[in-house]
Amino acid sequence: MKKILLATVAATMLGLLAPHGASAQTTIEPGKPVEMVLLPKFLGILPFDQAHKGAEEAAAELKNAKTLQYLGPTPENSVAGQIEIVTNATTQGVGAIMMSNNSGDQIVPAAKAAHAKGIKVVTWDSPIPSAEGEDVFVAQVDFSETGKVMADMALSIMGPDGGKFAILSASPDAANQNAWIAAMQTALKDPKYAKLEVVGIVYGNDQSEASYSQALALVDKYPGIKLIMAPTSVGIVAAAKAMQDEKLCDKIKVSGLGVPAEMLAYTKNGCAPQFALWSFVDLGYLSYYTAYGLATGAIKAEAGASFKAGRLGNYTITKDPTRKEGLRVLMGPFSKYDASNVEAAAK
Amino acid sequence: MTLPPILRRWETLLLVLLVAIGAVNIAWSPFYLGVGNIVNLFQLSIEKIIVALTMTLIIVNGEIDLSVASVMGLSACVAAYLFHAGIALPWALLASLAAGAAAGAFNGFWVAYVGLPSLAVTLAGLIGYRGIARILVEDRAYGGFPDWFNALGQQPWIGPVTVSIVVFLVMFAGVAVVLHGSALGRLVYVMGNNVQAARYSGVRVKRVKLLLFTASGTVAALAGLLYAARLGSVRGDMAVGFELDIITIVLLGGVSIFGGSGNLVGVGLSILLILNLRNGMGLANITGNTQTSVIGALLVLSVLVPNMAQTLHTKWKGRET
Repeated sequence: MKKILLATVAATMLGLLAPHGASAQTTIEPGKPVEMVLLPKFLGILPFDQAHKGAEEAAAELKNAKTLQYLGPTPENSVAGQIEIVTNATTQGVGAIMMSNNSGDQIVPAAKAAHAKGIKVVTWDSPIPSAEGEDVFVAQVDFSETGKVMADMALSIMGPDGGKFAILSASPDAANQNAWIAAMQTALKDPKYAKLEVVGIVYGNDQSEASYSQALALVDKYPGIKLIMAPTSVGIVAAAKAMQDEKLCDKIKVSGLGVPAEMLAYTKNGCAPQFALWSFVDLGYLSYYTAYGLATGAIKAEAGASFKAGRLGNYTITKDPTRKEGLRVLMGPFSKYDASNVEAAAK
Repeated sequence: MTLPPILRRWETLLLVLLVAIGAVNIAWSPFYLGVGNIVNLFQLSIEKIIVALTMTLIIVNGEIDLSVASVMGLSACVAAYLFHAGIALPWALLASLAAGAAAGAFNGFWVAYVGLPSLAVTLAGLIGYRGIARILVEDRAYGGFPDWFNALGQQPWIGPVTVSIVVFLVMFAGVAVVLHGSALGRLVYVMGNNVQAARYSGVRVKRVKLLLFTASGTVAALAGLLYAARLGSVRGDMAVGFELDIITIVLLGGVSIFGGSGNLVGVGLSILLILNLRNGMGLANITGNTQTSVIGALLVLSVLVPNMAQTLHTKWKGRET
């Protein structure tokens, strides 16, 4: 009896161990030629260029003989342009498309067509909301953590007395920005942030001029705000410049998610004392490893699959808790920047 | 030095350019001539080229309609809004076509009956109709349409050809008959050349203009619905900025921005030219600003070359007499 029990226990333990054994880190084999397209929301802003740099780094490590194509639309033509690029890549029969989706679910028919042709569709930075036509989303950081980081920065900048602040976001249906703002609203319910109040959200559509004027509109609309929180690298620079130009930096600070090289001056002069970001270089790097692994068959797009992504270490594909459907690879963590470390990071 | 008349024609130049672009595309990409690619080439811009047909009538008539892209967005948003409010989709689609017709008629009223410049009226429309669209759907994205609706924009119908492409071809034939084979078409040209003369010779100028703008709005609404069907989801910013691409196609087709001249053959060639150029650049992995610049340069040429030729021609003539 005892033996049977022991055997059962042993078997159960083995059973528990088995999935781990089966999903042991897959090492991605380099040297296979795969046509890959890196598609940002649009061309011409620094974070996407950094992601490109990271993807190039991964391409070199993986010795992919095919040149990485970095293709993107103009900001004004982002939706139609992304659809066009995905469709043309499908015609060309590339191996994988890595996309920061700016088209919401409007990209779905094009992504599904690519998928149906056997092309691996990996999203990074911003996923396909319904996850249709998408293999995996490479998420930069956990969305709830983004909310908490922004709440903490708001508290730290406005101080224990708190006050009112407003949000300058990208486009109204930018999936990631909306999720981060929602996560921040949730985080703010903690009693520790009781004195912080969000008075409104405006959208600058990730265009500098629109963001600049929206930031100024906030000042008029909500007199007495002490902070503008911009969870977008375009918005935060535009808002900081607007406050600096209007000499409002003493009263209204700017914070959010920004790129150190672009924020350096504003952090040094106190307009934007703190901001945060993940590394876009790493995000491009990890996206490339993921897409290459999927396209070469080394990784399967299913929950539990693990793989080693070069210098970043091991990652596991899981169900995406932020969407109804879909899989994700979570990169993390956050880097916070202030006057003490921004200079080093800007280099 | 005199060239035979056929070689001096704008359409001939477009045809030569088109053949050149086709040849380069064939040489550069093995995928260019694939059936799927040819269908995609049209599909990716199908809504713009449909609206370009009615825009041709408007511009030949000496007017402009800057509000078309906003009407496209408005119609998609009206349909999505009504559908999600529980109205059966066929009725929602009809209502959105009616909204497009009303938007066009509203433009037409101010231009024809009040005599305001269409540039100003339709610029107001561009802003106003987009505003209504955004109010209707706010920050949301509406999807979840029935499969038959999405199929209208996405699935092959006759062979590999989609519904939208068939709509375009039928409309092309229809507009060709109206513009080049009907009394109405002659009036469109006459008014475009000299609206005062047309008025004094008893042309019902107001009615023709109202009709043209209403047609423009209705067709833009139809195009907006096809766009919604192709993308399977509707947002407030749908088709933003499309008016410039549409007007570019028409002007490159040799239609004078001052009205009164141009023909549908030129516009047809211009459509093929721009679509093949875009597709070729896409397949050659040329995107973003480079692509925009090339098409922009083409437009600059299309406006400058005929005007310079005209000026030179006039000077030359002046010297002879």
